[in-house]
Amino acid sequence: MNHVNAVTFTIVVILFLLVTCVGFAAARWRRAEDMMHLNEWGLGGRGFGTFVGWFLLGGDLYTAYTFIAVPSAVFLTGAVSGFFAVSYTIMVFPIALIFLPRLWSIARVHNYVTPADFIRGRYGSRGLSLAMAFTGILALMPYIALQLVGIQAVLTVMGVGTSSNNTFIKDLPLFAAFLVLAVFTYVSGLRAPALIAFIKDILVYVMIIVAIFYIPTRLGGFGHIFGVAETHMKTVNPKTGKPTGVFIPTTGNSQLAFATLALGSAAALFIYPHTITGALSTRRRAVVKRNMALLPLYSVVLGLIALLGYMALTDKVTAANVKKAGGNAQLAVPYLFQHMFPSWFTGIAFSAIVIGALVPAAIMAIAAANLFTRNIFKEFVKPDASPRLETKVSQWGSLVIKTGALLFAIELPRTFSINLQLLGGIWVLQVFPALVFGLFTRWFHRWALLAGWAAGMIFGTIAAYKVATPTTSHWAGSTDIEFGHTVYIGLTAVLLNIAISVVLTVILKLTKVPGGADETLPHQYTADGEVAEAPAPAGVGLGAAGAGAVGDLQPLRGAKCASGPTGRGQMRQRPRDAPATGW
Amino acid sequence: MTQPAVKPRNPVAAHPVTSAAIAIGIFASIFFTLWVPIYARATPKAGDFPFFYFYLLAYMPVVGIVLWIVIQLQKRLTPPSRAAASAREEAK
Repeated sequence: MNHVNAVTFTIVVILFLLVTCVGFAAARWRRAEDMMHLNEWGLGGRGFGTFVGWFLLGGDLYTAYTFIAVPSAVFLTGAVSGFFAVSYTIMVFPIALIFLPRLWSIARVHNYVTPADFIRGRYGSRGLSLAMAFTGILALMPYIALQLVGIQAVLTVMGVGTSSNNTFIKDLPLFAAFLVLAVFTYVSGLRAPALIAFIKDILVYVMIIVAIFYIPTRLGGFGHIFGVAETHMKTVNPKTGKPTGVFIPTTGNSQLAFATLALGSAAALFIYPHTITGALSTRRRAVVKRNMALLPLYSVVLGLIALLGYMALTDKVTAANVKKAGGNAQLAVPYLFQHMFPSWFTGIAFSAIVIGALVPAAIMAIAAANLFTRNIFKEFVKPDASPRLETKVSQWGSLVIKTGALLFAIELPRTFSINLQLLGGIWVLQVFPALVFGLFTRWFHRWALLAGWAAGMIFGTIAAYKVATPTTSHWAGSTDIEFGHTVYIGLTAVLLNIAISVVLTVILKLTKVPGGADETLPHQYTADGEVAEAPAPAGVGLGAAGAGAVGDLQPLRGAKCASGPTGRGQMRQRPRDAPATGW
Repeated sequence: MTQPAVKPRNPVAAHPVTSAAIAIGIFASIFFTLWVPIYARATPKAGDFPFFYFYLLAYMPVVGIVLWIVIQLQKRLTPPSRAAASAREEAK
C-alpha cells in the first residue's frame, strides 16, 4: 500500500458503495410479478424506452476498452491501432440501423432471448445455433477480462494492492470489485447494469468534459499536444528500425489497415451478444432505431478519450511514470489523471473508469449466461426446463463466466488487452453471415454457413497467432499482410467464411440436402410489439393471442394466424402496465 | 431498404425516392469514414486540430443527424395503420 491518496481512495470507495447499493436496489426497479424469468432477469422485462435505452446501450458499448485500451494504443502507436476506434464507432450506427431493427422485431415476435435463438429458429439447426452460442461465449470471455484489466489499471495507479508479489493478495481489491459485481448481477440481472449505467454515463461525461478543457491548458494547448505526438510517432524506434507509430495514415497500407480495422470492428459490435442483449431489452422497434441516431453523441466522448493518449504522451511526468511501471501503457490515462487533477477529482475520474468497466462486464456476463442457458443447457441437456430453472441456470452461469474472465485477466499478459479483445472481434465476426444475412434471406444453407463459420474461426485464430513484432512473438496484433496489403484479420476471415458459405450453399442445393425448417415469416421482421403482453410473465399470460410459452422455441402458432396486418390493431397492447413513466 | 416487401403493397416500390434517399443516407455515412484518403491530411487545420482528427470528431454529430433523417424517412414507408399505432404509443 504505497502512496495511497486518502481523498482519492475515499471518493472511489464511496462511489463504489453507492453503485453497490444501486445494484441491489435495482432488483426492485420496474418490478415484475415473477422475476424468475429470463425475460426479466436477462432482458430487464423487455420494456426500456428511448431514455433508459440510450443510457443502457451507451454504458454497454463504451467499455474499459474505450477508457483504457484505446488511449493506451493511441499513446503507443498513434492513429492506426488506436484512433481507428473513432471511425469504427461512426460506422457502427449506420451498419446496425440496417439489420438491428429486424433482429429486434423477429426476437420480439418469437420471444428470442439470444442471437443463437434466432439462428435456431431461422435455420432449424441446433448445430449452427450451438456454434453461434459457443462463439459468443468465447468472444465475451476476453472482453469481460478486459473490463477487469481496466479496473486493475486504476487500482494499480491508486497504489492499492501493489505491495505484494503474491497474486492473490496483490489482486485482492480486484477480487472484491469482482465479487460485488458477481453478486449484484446474480440478484438483479440486467436491471442492475441498466440503473448503474445512469451513474456511469454521468460520471464519464463529467470526467471527459473536464479533462478535455482543463488538461490542454496545463500542457500548452492542443497545438503543442499534437506537435509532440507527431514528432514522437515519427521517431524511429531503435528496436524495430521503423517509426514508432502513425500520426496520420497517409500511406496506402496504413489507410487500408485503418479502414479494415474500423469496418470489421463496426460490423462485429452489434453481433456481440451483450450489445444484442441491450438492444432486445428495449420496449419498441422505434427505440432501437432512435438510439442509432442518438448514440453517436456518446461516440464524441470516445473520440475525445482517445486524444487522452496524446495528452499522456505530452505530459512528461505521465510518460515517465508509465516507463517506470515497465512500459505498461494501460496506466497512461490513470497516471495522467492523477498528475493533472486535484485528488478529489482524480477520485471521480477513477470511479468513472471503474464503474464504466462494471456496467458492460455485468451485461456481458448476463449475455453469455443466457447463451449457455438457452442454446446449450436447454437445447442439449434439459429441453423441458421451466422458465424458473432457466433463470437459475443463467444466474449461476453468469458467476462461472465471470470467474473464467477473472482468471483470464490475472493470468494473461496485461499489455495486450486491446489485441485480446480484437481476437474476440475476429471470432464474433464469423457469426455475421449466419446472423445478418439470415435476417434478410433464407438462401444460405445451414451446413454451408456452419462450414464457413468453422473455416473463418480456424483461419482467423491461426492468422492472429502468427502476428509477430520484434518484441512479441505471437498475438502481437490483429492485422496481417494478405497479398501485400495490411488488412484486419477479422475481415479476411469473414470474407473467406462468406465465400465458403456461398459455394457450399450452391453445391448443397444442387444435391438437395434438406435445408431445415424456418419458423419465421417475412412480415415478422418488421413487426412492432406484435406479441400481446410481450414480456409474458413466467408460465402465465398465454391468452387468446397464443403468445406461446416463453422459452418455447417453437413458433407461436396461435399468433401466426392472428397477426396479419389486420389483426395488428387488436393485438397490440401496452407491453406492460407497470412503467407508466419513461423509466 | 430495411423495409422488406409487405403484402399487398411493397413500400419500397411505392416510395422509390424516399427509399433511395434512405439508402444514400446510410451508405454515405459509412463511405465518408471508410474512405480514409478523403480525410487523411494534416491541413487545413481547424484551430489546433489537424484535419484528420477534426474531421473524425466532427463526423459524429453529423452521422447522428443523417441517421435521424433516415429514420424519419423510414416512417413514410410504414403502412398507415402501423404509423398510427406508433403515434398513439408515443402520445402516452
